[in-house]
Amino acid sequence: MQLLRVNITQHKTEFVPVPPLYERLGGRALIAKVLLEEVPPTCDPLGPRNKLIFAPGLLAGAGVTTAGRLSVGAKSPLTGGAKEANAGGTAGDTLPKLGIKAIIVEGQARAGEWYILHVKSDSAELIAANDLRGLGTYATAERLQEQFGTDASIISIGQAGEFLMCGASIALTGERDQRSNHAARGGLGAVMGSKGLKAIVIDRATKSLTPANPDLFRSATKRFAQALINDPKTGQKGSQHLYGTASIVGAVNEMGSLPTRNFSAGNFEQAATLRGEYLREVILKREGKVGTRCMPGCVIACRNEYVDETGKPIVGTLQFETIALVGSNLGLGNLDDVARLNYMCNDFGLDTIETGAALGVAIEAGLARFGDFESIRALLAQVGEGTVLGRVIGNGAVTTGRVLGIRRVPAVLGQAMPGYDPRTLKGNGVTYATSPQGADHTAGNAFGARKEVNPLAVQGQKELSLRLQIIAAMLDSTGLCLFARPPIIADPQLMADMINGLYGWGWTTQDLDQFYRDVLRNEIEFNRRAGITAAQHRIPEYMREEPLPPHNAVFDVPDADLDAVFDTL
Amino acid sequence: MAVHVELFGQLGSGTQRTRTLTLEQPRTVQQIAMELGLDPEHIGLIVINGVQREMDDWVPPDCRLCFFPPVSGG
Repeated sequence: MQLLRVNITQHKTEFVPVPPLYERLGGRALIAKVLLEEVPPTCDPLGPRNKLIFAPGLLAGAGVTTAGRLSVGAKSPLTGGAKEANAGGTAGDTLPKLGIKAIIVEGQARAGEWYILHVKSDSAELIAANDLRGLGTYATAERLQEQFGTDASIISIGQAGEFLMCGASIALTGERDQRSNHAARGGLGAVMGSKGLKAIVIDRATKSLTPANPDLFRSATKRFAQALINDPKTGQKGSQHLYGTASIVGAVNEMGSLPTRNFSAGNFEQAATLRGEYLREVILKREGKVGTRCMPGCVIACRNEYVDETGKPIVGTLQFETIALVGSNLGLGNLDDVARLNYMCNDFGLDTIETGAALGVAIEAGLARFGDFESIRALLAQVGEGTVLGRVIGNGAVTTGRVLGIRRVPAVLGQAMPGYDPRTLKGNGVTYATSPQGADHTAGNAFGARKEVNPLAVQGQKELSLRLQIIAAMLDSTGLCLFARPPIIADPQLMADMINGLYGWGWTTQDLDQFYRDVLRNEIEFNRRAGITAAQHRIPEYMREEPLPPHNAVFDVPDADLDAVFDTL
Repeated sequence: MAVHVELFGQLGSGTQRTRTLTLEQPRTVQQIAMELGLDPEHIGLIVINGVQREMDDWVPPDCRLCFFPPVSGG
């Protein structure tokens, strides 16, 4: 395995051996370590000294089901701290097969210059690409696949990344004509834009990694896949396969946690037409697709392709977070409307969570109307056009609130909250308020099942959040999907067997536990050096004062509890 | 007493998703689940009037009782 180092200032690409310090790291763990070792913590996130890192997880490229997510990281322009966001697609599976452990991009192109990075099996080159400037992510991927082949993996930014908007995402293509997988959070698209890097093209690779201990590896990966197939959530009869991430819309709404009209209620009266059950019914009736996959070889297959009444695709895939932030949070109860706004966000290269929250704030300021698709669409269109107002919204919820004089901004550490109001799902509130990633459900999602901590109670939330944040670090560092956690939680030895089978390392479950914890320790240390304090991590004050209907709950986990979350890390 | 029941996800596939039960005597969640033919193994979440409950909880009069299959946030 090698690192591909790219210096855009010097117009240089170089394959180098992986330093011992990075050898046993992957995905988010590798990103956290590279940030700590190589990126000045107080650097300008959009300047040449920040580094943009593309790192598959430790299990990627070896045929492990659901393990092909690609982690992307940098110092975030949105939070000012360590950031990792990951997405499905084919790039995460392909890079290790090409012998590449990570791509690390530094430097900056001269103003007005745009490049693509073409990665092949034995070389890489930067190619001038000013002709792609101004294109959305769909057209960029289409153009590049015409040029480099339909089996090439394309990683790209849209207009939002070019405009250096802090809500900008990075898009990844998937199998066949699949386009819209996004490493969405934290404004990483702006970091890519700041480098002058419009896209990365990765040639197809076919040869999987060779396991060090084939018997152990095969037996462990088979057990893992079988456990997912047998699991009541992830199997073929499970809700995640049948209804996708939208399977939880009904439950989150019933529990009074569904963001509604800029987080002013937790229960949306039109939720029935946003639910996963309804989504599936509509898609099947219109002959769209459900139960498809975002990564090669995934046995869960939770993805969908949402189509219009004539069967023409609108967007793939329509997911819970988008339904919550761009649907109920904007007062929209029509999936067609949500899908169209989702497509626009994907094309501009925008995080739907950040943008949905920013639009909610803008509507509260009177710039559009809750439930009025046309006024919201017109507002979002301005982001792609780069008008002054569009640039405000594209820079996220906090910027939008500040410019428009709105105090009710659902964000922590500069980043918008996802689809669970922390007043009624307090465990997620603790994660939002403590994760080095800022308000991020994938950093430790407490939305759970029976016999767990009461989501409305204070007691037990800090312990729950820490446990979940460690699990999230495990998933993000091995390339696994969040949905794939049940078998590993039930049997931690399974992860040790897969990793030891692949690499021959002899890790114990205790070693693994420290490996996961080190991810958080490194991110926390980077953030400390970057100057981030507890004050920036607090849940917005209005959420401690303003009761959320229907439970009329406030966020009341004491600051002392929040500050103690990592005491036992 | 009336209990308004809703079955979510695959629990409601091929059957009536919403119904109102008229109960003459108090029942636990588990008793109602059994009467509806739901396998407790397939129930992931129980919510009564917006609050998460367990199988052995008593069902209050005139409530909304929701059964969900095993789900988790992604």
